[in-house]
Amino acid sequence: MKNCLPQRRTWSFISGFKIGHLKKLKVFLLILFSFVSSVLFAQTTITGRVASGDTALAGVTVQVKGTTTATQTNSEGRFSINGPSTATLVFTSIGYASQEVPVNNRTSIDVQLASSNTQLTDVVVVGYGTQRRATVTGSISNIKSTDITRTAATTTSGALVGKIQGITARMADGRPGNGTAIQIRNMGNPLYVIDGVPADAGQFNQIGIGDIEDISILKDASAAIYGLRAANGVILVTTKKGRQGKAQITVDGYKGYQDFTRFLKPPDAATYLRGLAWSNQNRGIANPTSINPTEIAKWEAGSEPGYQSVDYYDYIMGNGDIPQSYITAAASGGGNNSRYYFSVGNTSQDALIEDYYFKRTNIQANLETGLAKGLKIGTQLSARDERRHQTGVPGLDDYFNPMLSVFSMWPTETPYANNNPKYINNTHSVNINPATYPEVVTGYSDDIWRAMKGIFFAQYELPFGLSIKGTAQYNYTTNDVDEFEYTYDAYTYDAVNDKYNVTGGNQNPWRRKINRRIENRFGSVVANYNKKIGDHTIGAIAGYERYDEKNEWTEARFLPQNNTVRLVYFADQNIYNNTFDESARAGYIGRLNYNYKQKYIVEALGRYDGSYLYAKDNRWGLFPGVSVGWRISEEDFMSGSIGSIFSELKLRASYGETGSELGFPNNNTDGPTPFGYLQGYNYANRNAVFNGVLTTGVIPRGLPVTELTWVTNISKNIGVDFGVLNNKLTGTFDVFERKREGLPAQQNDLLLPIEVGYTYPNQNLESDAIRGVEGVLTFSNTAKAGFTYSLSINGTLARTKILERYNPRFSNSYDEWRNSQVDRWANPNFGYHVVGRFQSQSEIDKYPINNDGQGNRTQLPGDLIFEDANNDGIINGLDQRVLGYAQGANPYASFGFNTQFGYKGITLAIDLAGANMQTYYREFEAQIPFQNNGAGVAYLISDAWRRTDPFDANSAWIPGEFPAVRKDVPTHVNYANRNDFWMTNVKYVRLRNLQLAYNIPKKWMDKIHVTGLRIYAQGSNLFSIDNMEEFDLDPEVSSTNGLQYPQQRTILFGFNLNL
Amino acid sequence: MRTLLKYTIGCFALAFFLACNKEGDWLDRQSQTVLANEQVMTDPKLIVGLLANYYDRLPGDASLTNRWQQHTSYDDAVWSGGGNSGDEERNSIVNYATNRWGLWDYVLIRDINLALENMEIYGTNLTDATRKQFNAEFRFLRAFHYFEMLKRHGGVPIVTTQLILGEDKNLTELQKPRNKEAEVYDFIASECDAIKDFIGNTGSNTRATKYAVLALKSRAMLYAASIAKYNALLTPTIVLPGGEVGIPAARANEYYQKSLDASKEIIAGPFALYKGNSNPGENFYEALTKKQGNTEIILAQDFLQTKGRVHGFSYDNIARGVREDNLGSSAIAPSLNLVESFDYLDGSPGILKTTSGGDFIYYDKPEDIFANKDGRLYGTVVYPGTTFKGSPVGLQAGLMVWNTTTNKYDIIEDNFGVLWGGTKYPGGDNRLITGLSGPQRTGLDVSNTGFNLRKSIDPAPGSSNRGRQSDMWWVRFRLGEIYLNAAEAAFELGQSADALKYVNTLRERAGFAPNSLTSLTIGKLIQERRNELAFEDHRLWDLIRTRTATTVWNGQSTNPNANLRALYGYQVVRPGDPAKHNKYVYVEMVAPRFKTPRFFQIQNYYSLIPQNVRDANPLIRNVPNPFH
Repeated sequence: MKNCLPQRRTWSFISGFKIGHLKKLKVFLLILFSFVSSVLFAQTTITGRVASGDTALAGVTVQVKGTTTATQTNSEGRFSINGPSTATLVFTSIGYASQEVPVNNRTSIDVQLASSNTQLTDVVVVGYGTQRRATVTGSISNIKSTDITRTAATTTSGALVGKIQGITARMADGRPGNGTAIQIRNMGNPLYVIDGVPADAGQFNQIGIGDIEDISILKDASAAIYGLRAANGVILVTTKKGRQGKAQITVDGYKGYQDFTRFLKPPDAATYLRGLAWSNQNRGIANPTSINPTEIAKWEAGSEPGYQSVDYYDYIMGNGDIPQSYITAAASGGGNNSRYYFSVGNTSQDALIEDYYFKRTNIQANLETGLAKGLKIGTQLSARDERRHQTGVPGLDDYFNPMLSVFSMWPTETPYANNNPKYINNTHSVNINPATYPEVVTGYSDDIWRAMKGIFFAQYELPFGLSIKGTAQYNYTTNDVDEFEYTYDAYTYDAVNDKYNVTGGNQNPWRRKINRRIENRFGSVVANYNKKIGDHTIGAIAGYERYDEKNEWTEARFLPQNNTVRLVYFADQNIYNNTFDESARAGYIGRLNYNYKQKYIVEALGRYDGSYLYAKDNRWGLFPGVSVGWRISEEDFMSGSIGSIFSELKLRASYGETGSELGFPNNNTDGPTPFGYLQGYNYANRNAVFNGVLTTGVIPRGLPVTELTWVTNISKNIGVDFGVLNNKLTGTFDVFERKREGLPAQQNDLLLPIEVGYTYPNQNLESDAIRGVEGVLTFSNTAKAGFTYSLSINGTLARTKILERYNPRFSNSYDEWRNSQVDRWANPNFGYHVVGRFQSQSEIDKYPINNDGQGNRTQLPGDLIFEDANNDGIINGLDQRVLGYAQGANPYASFGFNTQFGYKGITLAIDLAGANMQTYYREFEAQIPFQNNGAGVAYLISDAWRRTDPFDANSAWIPGEFPAVRKDVPTHVNYANRNDFWMTNVKYVRLRNLQLAYNIPKKWMDKIHVTGLRIYAQGSNLFSIDNMEEFDLDPEVSSTNGLQYPQQRTILFGFNLNL
Repeated sequence: MRTLLKYTIGCFALAFFLACNKEGDWLDRQSQTVLANEQVMTDPKLIVGLLANYYDRLPGDASLTNRWQQHTSYDDAVWSGGGNSGDEERNSIVNYATNRWGLWDYVLIRDINLALENMEIYGTNLTDATRKQFNAEFRFLRAFHYFEMLKRHGGVPIVTTQLILGEDKNLTELQKPRNKEAEVYDFIASECDAIKDFIGNTGSNTRATKYAVLALKSRAMLYAASIAKYNALLTPTIVLPGGEVGIPAARANEYYQKSLDASKEIIAGPFALYKGNSNPGENFYEALTKKQGNTEIILAQDFLQTKGRVHGFSYDNIARGVREDNLGSSAIAPSLNLVESFDYLDGSPGILKTTSGGDFIYYDKPEDIFANKDGRLYGTVVYPGTTFKGSPVGLQAGLMVWNTTTNKYDIIEDNFGVLWGGTKYPGGDNRLITGLSGPQRTGLDVSNTGFNLRKSIDPAPGSSNRGRQSDMWWVRFRLGEIYLNAAEAAFELGQSADALKYVNTLRERAGFAPNSLTSLTIGKLIQERRNELAFEDHRLWDLIRTRTATTVWNGQSTNPNANLRALYGYQVVRPGDPAKHNKYVYVEMVAPRFKTPRFFQIQNYYSLIPQNVRDANPLIRNVPNPFH
């Protein structure tokens, strides 16, 4: 301990202020401990450190079992206590499973406590405050930083997947920097609130992951306090704050390597040519001279010059090992009056495609200080710089063409003419030749988001339990897009003269600059009153807040005269666009809590909310909610033997209303567009050139929307929370319904003749509901000899049912069966059921049912046989039936399994995530061989029904998985009749994270003057058990052609350093 | 003192949030783009803005910007653009859907009626003359639009005022029945008569003038007349008892006369056929594409590159070998059917000669096979051996190499610009195999027929580049059509001499000798229209109004008119036969990407009225056409 002081001198790179601060603390601690040691030297002193993972736990109560002797750990997690060497120490702390450790004559004991996000003793962030988990009556999930950071995801949404009940997720597009589509109970995009201020999904996803302290998810009536936009639930993010005590300095980082989980693969040249021959054979077309057995044999051998097949997957996507890294450093602490948290972090992820990457730097500074007794001011300042870099491949999405190229290029053509890398080959379609994709050839595209946000608050606490807090936020976000696509030439090689002739290329330069500026302002004042009078605890919150946003976008396009100069010039400009959007909202907040002995709990909350979107008379609405809780475990009758099983048992019920502004970015149902309540004309709609002069167009508006208002959402939830075996086993189960009333629809019995030329505006007419269950069960324990483990399983099932459609009408019973939605689960996926495959031509000839609508003359062996559901002898639309669930949506059922084991500083964490009840349909490249005159997907050729000899039309058929290939016939019923051969109801369980960590023992760390060091290795998406594997597709991909950047399989090596 | 400070700060915070703004102000935001009735109707510049919007919304079956792909849905061109799906289906239309040409756009009608009425209410500061001029121009647009709906559906309800839903929400007041087909034609004629002297805009060819009004009348009356005449000759005829569909044959002459009168008034006006270039082919191309000093154009939808008012028609359709971009080209590939419809200058039918006596005809130069054709062929189509914008387009399908073993030609086709030599073609003499413009049998964005489009493709540098694009205009009315309208009306009225005069004037401009035609038939006139007006949105309507679509496009695989054909040119490699070596031969075939013969059925003469229209208005006859 005497060595402490010299140790700290090694901190030369920290600012003078901090060194001074540390010094003072150290001196103080040294004196304190010296004092303690000298007074109590004669007794057995047990010292040690309590931590959870790498985080030191302060304030843990350490008690000698059976005595009143107790102490608490300090800010480093260290404790010192006196007791007999045969004693047992009991460690308890809010938020962690308590643990008993026999001393066994030791004088030093380090303890790991297992955290649990379902611990009932925890404190939970709720709307506008915190509540003890015990008295929470709403359905609120909560996740802490240690669980959030265990991820290879670069975005917050990705880090939540599978770890928390009530969340469904799908990462269809896994490109670097992309978020995961997460929804609460499948209700739609939630409202994000970061440090008390509404934010968008971008702000949520791109926050520094290490800066998040806690995420709470309000799923039921508890969201009503957020009113008008809280219909789909609310995700509350709280960033880290300093804790009283000496400076904590942490450095966390990892370096990782990624590869695609799965991707479709193109054929080699011989397979490709053989496929063309089969296609010609199947279509009865003569082969061109270039397709013959000799040629194919040459490609197969690959030895003759010019006969080397090119694998364009390898060429474009490489062979994996693409880097990803993360580093963040944070300093936090505080004195009696002030607390601070500073951090800076950097996330960097490259894409598999060369020259594509994502980088983000985050800065966070959270400060608060007391100005006078009861008066506190503080700030949360954050900034981020987020950039995506791609090469300037033609097409608006720079990721699409490279993925398309894999299947559009022919393996028989080379990227470079004569394989000479100086000359881009003018392939059959040069714009998908990957030789053009490097940045030096095609240019670049930068997409940069920069945001600065300052939240400032002042809080005044009056002595009688009332506190008033005023908050102001200003957030300024810019998005700059800078694109430059170069022109280039493409060549054809003249072998005789050894010359390269320009025969094509790209003569289309593209230069675009986009600037978006978003300005958000937020202000609130909230009064909070808490009082305990005997057994009665009351709490009340009243407040007002408002929020606006201004969003201006400008786009300028240019036709640069060369590929060199990056500045843009008016002379080259050809397009300039400018838009401006503005929104404003305000609301009054109220909540009352009451509990009697923490046993009977009632909460009423509500919000009176207004939105700029609606006509003046329809602007304001009241969204109330009420919830009750009964902690049965506190009842006297539970004190007996039954009661001893339950350390906690609580029943909860809630009812609440929220609103949704349908028709806006969060939703896709028709609703009012801004200023829909105004009559008149819109400026700048179309234009015309009159006598050589461009005249900007003006268009009359439709009928003003004055009756429509928000959709009212009624949330009902019944839940139970319990803890048994001394809270070693805890669980939460909820049954819920969210009903939406007043969904916008046309009043179809007010049937305006089309000849009037306008439509009657939508009104609030229809309703639907999401119903489901969710739950989580956690078991955590410390076994003998310091072996800790926890197991947690969670699941969510949530599905939409249409309740009312306004005045549905059907022309006949089939129409009703097919098209009625009333009282049915939403989004049924219709198609033809495939009952078999034609085995031979004679079977086709004899087949009594008209399978293709053309007397079966287009059918070949191996073709799909559709079920004639109505037995009318012909396959047509009437034979379709329900085959699957919603397509592209989040799965109806999601589940996760999280487990952690710890032993002597080694921890193993495993997170599995899975889903069921979602549907994927294969189309285009993933379905049709030689799509778009390309080579297509290998297995569609190699595993197709085919003749033994592609050059002998009488040779025998060989069965395969896929229908016989016919190039350029995408309209064939095999493909055009939507059917369940191509449809998959996807189920998967994937290993999201497998993390093995080791806390380097303190005695080693002391030698290098480090407080703590944890190192780990982690694998993400190492395997998946699912029914998409046979198609080489990631189970979360949604694009039907399969050309979507899938998730990555990542191996990470990381550390958490405590200085 | 400290307490005071605290309370002061606390109160300040409260005051800041509560006091500075009233709620109403906070939620009342200003739109940047919404204009009030008064603002628009008192400002002639904004009324012209309203006109700009309406002009731009005028429909058409196919123009340069509006559904231009439709040009490949009939018999003049094959879809040769990208995609195995989408527009590729144009090559395999089993039959035309009964609602294919449906157009029931009363939104534009309402918007025009609204402008007419609001101008009366709010435009109090406008001068009488200004108001009359705008009134006439709005009504021209309305008449034009009614004609577009009429030629698709037959009679439609004529609505000339806003139909406003009353407080009592009485729907029956808003329900209007279909007018008779003839009534709508009469309405168009009477509107044209009423407005032509007030519309002004003299000298403009981008805003409607008196002559644009007359041109609309000339065309509409010709349609009315030919429907009256040829519908009656059809078996069975297409009529509804209420006259919503079908015009009594007795009225044919009356309509022909109205059309002829309107045409004559235009021909007597300030316009003249474009004759700026002594080469008939180039002249015909310039007649549509030259904007400066063009005396032929009566009304066009114009574009302006310098102001970003551009379109991608040239980008999508320029010949592959001369494109200025790496995507998109050659989507509209003219068919051999169209190419052969152009007569030889000696008056003989335009069938191309590819074989003779069991062998190919060997041409010295690729273009020789097209020698002595109607100049309008050159002005419309890019064919082998010609140039575009001064560059050779490079149309050559491949080589025909004489195989001395089999005594047959081996056909070699390859990628663009690949040479016949090196390791891949040992023994080759390094000549070009396939031209930079194809044709290719399966390639995308390359001609599938052996031809490319010239008409309306912009000659300006960079205009086929996505970034720059083209500002070629879309001609709605030009004098050339008026001559043909006049010729047809005169012919039908028995004034053959006049009719021949009009047709021969146009043929003379195309390079024919004076008075090249001495007799006429309606078939010959429709062929002349096909030649003169190809890709100007006339072919479909001409076949519909003369009721010949069902015979020309009868869905038979044996009918050369219903099957779109291609002409693939090859260079011959036959050193042993100097008379044939290095010469050019042509192979005629059904275009390889073309799958299904065109099949126009009797129910297609009138498009089905959409179900939602009939649901919402019981007065719209449930059977819009007896064959539906």
